Amino acid sequence: MRPIDQQTPTYMPTANRPINAGTSMNDNTSRLDGVAKVTGAARYGRDMHLPNAIYIALVRCPYGAADLESSDAAAAKAVPGVLEVEVTGKEGKYHGQPIGHVAAESPLAMKRALRALNCTWKRKPVKTRISDVAPDMPAPEDKTKEILESAELKLEAVYSTPVQPHSSLETHGGVVDHKGDRATVYASTQGTSSVKDGLGDSLGLPQSAFEVVCEYVGGGFGSKLGGPGKEISTAARIAAKYKRPAYLFCNRSEEHLDTGNRPSLRALVRLGFMKDGTILGGEIHKWGGVGVGGGGGGASLPSGRYRLGDVKKSDSNVSTNGGGPRPARAPGNPQGVFVEELMLDEVAAMAGIDPLDLRRKLVTDDIYKEMFDLGARLIGWQDRRANGTQRTGLRTGFGVGSTNWGYRGPQGSAEVVINRDGSVEVRTGTQDIGTGQRTIMGIVAAEALGVPLRVVNVRIGHSTLPPGPGSGGSQTAYSTSPIMNSATRDARQQFLTLLAKGDGADAAEFDIKDGQVLRKGQPYLTWQEACAKLPNDGVTGKNEAHPDGGAGGSQGVQFVKVAVDVEAGVVHPLHVVAIQSCGRVVCRKTAESQIIGGVIQGLSYALFERQILDRNVGTMVNDNFEFYKVLGPMDMPHIEPVLWARGQTGVRSLGEPPIIPTAGATAGAIFNAIGRPVRDLPMTPDRLLAAMEGGAS
Amino acid sequence: MAHDPGPAPDGAVPGQNGPARGVTRRSFVQTIGISAAATSLGSAAADALARQRSQESGGPEGVTILGPDPVEVTLNINGKPMMATIEPATTLMEALRLHLNLTGCKDVCDRGACGACSVLVDGRLTAACMLLALDAVGSQVTTVEGLAKGDPPKLDPVQECFVRHDALQCGYCTPGLIMACRALLNENPKPTLEQIKHGLSGNICRCGTYTNIFNAALEASGQAPIMDQKGA
Repeated sequence: MRPIDQQTPTYMPTANRPINAGTSMNDNTSRLDGVAKVTGAARYGRDMHLPNAIYIALVRCPYGAADLESSDAAAAKAVPGVLEVEVTGKEGKYHGQPIGHVAAESPLAMKRALRALNCTWKRKPVKTRISDVAPDMPAPEDKTKEILESAELKLEAVYSTPVQPHSSLETHGGVVDHKGDRATVYASTQGTSSVKDGLGDSLGLPQSAFEVVCEYVGGGFGSKLGGPGKEISTAARIAAKYKRPAYLFCNRSEEHLDTGNRPSLRALVRLGFMKDGTILGGEIHKWGGVGVGGGGGGASLPSGRYRLGDVKKSDSNVSTNGGGPRPARAPGNPQGVFVEELMLDEVAAMAGIDPLDLRRKLVTDDIYKEMFDLGARLIGWQDRRANGTQRTGLRTGFGVGSTNWGYRGPQGSAEVVINRDGSVEVRTGTQDIGTGQRTIMGIVAAEALGVPLRVVNVRIGHSTLPPGPGSGGSQTAYSTSPIMNSATRDARQQFLTLLAKGDGADAAEFDIKDGQVLRKGQPYLTWQEACAKLPNDGVTGKNEAHPDGGAGGSQGVQFVKVAVDVEAGVVHPLHVVAIQSCGRVVCRKTAESQIIGGVIQGLSYALFERQILDRNVGTMVNDNFEFYKVLGPMDMPHIEPVLWARGQTGVRSLGEPPIIPTAGATAGAIFNAIGRPVRDLPMTPDRLLAAMEGGAS
Repeated sequence: MAHDPGPAPDGAVPGQNGPARGVTRRSFVQTIGISAAATSLGSAAADALARQRSQESGGPEGVTILGPDPVEVTLNINGKPMMATIEPATTLMEALRLHLNLTGCKDVCDRGACGACSVLVDGRLTAACMLLALDAVGSQVTTVEGLAKGDPPKLDPVQECFVRHDALQCGYCTPGLIMACRALLNENPKPTLEQIKHGLSGNICRCGTYTNIFNAALEASGQAPIMDQKGA
C-alpha cells in the first residue's frame, strides 16, 4: 500500500476536557502509529501469513480432568496437506491443556487433521471452584475474638471474585521464519527481549542468528509477559525442522482456556469497629483460585491506603481443574480492592457515616482527601441518598474507590542517532502494546533535542535494538523516559560540540530550539543545514546507566454513579470520574486513553466477566465472545478522565492503576442504590435480585 | 473447536473432538458438503462458476458441483478485481487475509461475535468470517484498506477522526470499528450518541476506547464531542 500522507491528524479540542488541558508535555499529538492502525497497514504477528508457511495447532484436552483413551494419528496424518501429527500427552488436568500438535500446509487442512485425530477421553472427577477444595471457613482466632468483643460494631462477611481471562483480541502465538542459518520471529509479546532469551534451543540457532520482531501487539494485559511460551516455542521447533515459515496462533477458544487469567478470590472478613468509624482490626482470610498454576493467587488486601487497625491476614492458593493464572493488569489488586472498598461501605452503613467521610477519616495519605473533594464535586456526590432509602423502580447509587502504584526506578537502555539528512532515530527494544509507548518515546526525544516530532523516527519492537523493558508493572514509560532523555541529551551535546569545533567556537554558544540551531541566542542554521555538517555516520548518543527519574507518584480515586433497575436487577453505569496522578504526563491523549481503558475493563470485571466451568466435567462453557460477555458500546457510561498533575517532574505509572478501584467503587454504588451489598463479582442481575430479596448475595 | 472446516478434499469423514457446538449457517454449509452448498448459494456468479465446473467434471445434470479441489475465483475488492485460488470452504476473512494479503480484516473470534473482521459487502456491514468467499463473488467488497481514496490517498474522515481522538489503543479492533462507523454514517449521516452506541454494538474493543470512538464518530458526522453531552 502506498504511504498515506505522513502527517497524522493532531488537533483535538481540549476545551471539553478543561481539567486536563495544559497538564502534559504534549496536549495535541496523536499516537505516531495511528495512521498505520486505522488504514490496516499495521502488521501484527498474527497478520504475518508468509508464503510456504506451515500452520500448526495444539491438540488439547476438552475436559477439566481426563485420560486420553485413544487417538487416530494415522487418520489425521492421512488428511491431504497434513505434514505431521504428534500426540505425546496422555492426560489432561484442565480444559485446553495441550497434549500434542498437528502441522499442515493450510489452516483448513490443520483443522481437518484435528477432527480426524478423533481423540476419545475417559473423564475423571473435577474440582472447579474454590469451595470444592476449601469448603470450610476457619473459626475466629483468639485475638480477633478479643477485638470483636471490645468493638461497638462488627462485620463478618464472605466476598468472591471470578476467574477473568485477559481476552486479548490478538491471540497468543507467533510466526517463525526459519531460513536455515538464521531466523526472524514475529511474536505477539509484551517482552521482545525475553522472547529472544528463551528461544535459541527451539530454533537450533545461537541468539546471534535470529531476531524477534514485535512492531504491533493486539493487547496483552499481562498475559504476554515472559518468554516465548508454548505457542512460539512449538512454532520454532517445527520451523527449524522443516526450514520453512511456521505459523501458530491460538483461536478464540484456546485464548480463553490456556493463555492465563486473573485468578479468582474468596475472602472472609471479620472486622471490629466503633460507631465513629474507627476500625480496631480483626482478620482477613484469602483464598486464590489458581487452577493448575500452583501459585499467583494473592490479593492486595488490605491495600495499605486505609487505616484498618490490627488486621491479621492469611493467604492460600487453591488448586482446581482450570488453566493457571498469569499477571493480569494490576495482579491481585482489582479483586482485593473490590473487597476492601465494599467492606468499608458496609462499615460506613452500619456506623451511619457517609462512606466518603469514612474514607477521609481512614486514608493514610492526604493526597486522597484532595482527590475525594474534586471527584465528589465532579460526580455530584451531594445528590447521593442514604443507602436503601429510594423507593422508585430506577434507583441511583454513588460509590468511590482508591488506587496507588509503586515505582522502581528507570531501567533499560537507548540510543539516539542524528543523521546527516536531519532525520533522528531513537532506538530501544521495548514494545508498544497499545499504551502509546512509541509516541511517548518520540515526544521525550523531540523535546530533549529541541526539534519537531516529525523528524523523529521511533524504532522499537526489535530484539536487535538496545534492550528495553518488558511491558509489565506499568514501567515502560517511567523506565524509558529518563533513559531516552539521557541518550538524547548525549546526542545533542555531541552534535553541538561537533558544530562548534567546525567553527572553532565554544559549544556553549550553541543551542537547538524548535528545529532551529541558535548561536548566542540568534538564528544560525536550519536543522537541515546544521545536520549536513555532520560526519557520514552522524552522531549516536547513549544513555547514562542511572539517570534521575524525578519526582512524582501514581495515586488515584474513582467515583462511579449507576442506576439500578430494581425490577430486572440490571445495572446501568451512568458516570465515572477517574482522577489519576502519574507524575509528569508526556502525551495527554494516550494518557487519557489509558485511564478510560482501565475504567472500562474495571466496569466489565464488575458487571459481566466470568469464566464458567462446567462443574461436572470442567469444560469452560463460555470460551468465546458470545457468552463470555465483555463491556460493549451499549453499556458505556460517561467517563471523565482527570489527569492530576501538580509539580511532578518525573514520569510515573499509568497502565495498571486506573483498573484497580473501578469494581470496588461500582459495588459501593450498587449497595447505595439497592440498600444491600452484592458481595460477589460479577454483579449480575440474578445476584442483585437475590441480594434485594434475602440480604447479602 | 470454533471453526468447522468441513470435509477434506478427499472426502474423509472427520471425527468428533470435544463437545458439540451450535450450528451456524457457515458451519452448516461447510458440513453438509459443497455440492449441496453450491445450489444454495445466492450469488449468480458463484452459480455460473459452479455450473461451469460441473460440466468440466462431468457431474450429473442439474446438480452443481463446486470443489472439493481449490477453485479460482475473482473477487471485487476495493474497486479492483482480485483473483485467488481457494478451497470452497474458505471464508471471505480467510481469503482476504491469507490469499489477498489484506490483513486489515482482523481474525479475532471467527464466529461473528466481535466485529473485528467487518467489511462492506455491496455497502452492507458484514462479518467477513461469517461469509464464504464464494458468496462474495459478484459483490463489491470494501475493506479498511480501501477507505482512503485519491492519489495520493487521503484518509476517510472516520479514519482521520479515529486518529485525532485517539479512538484506538492496541489497534486490533480498530479496522472493524472504522468499518462499522463508516457503515453507520453511510446510512445515517448525523447519528445521535445513542444511535452511535447502537450502530457499533456489534464490535468489541478490549483495551476500552469507546469514549474516544464515540467522539470520533460524532466529529466525523460534524457534531460536538461527547464531553459536551453530559450524562451520555
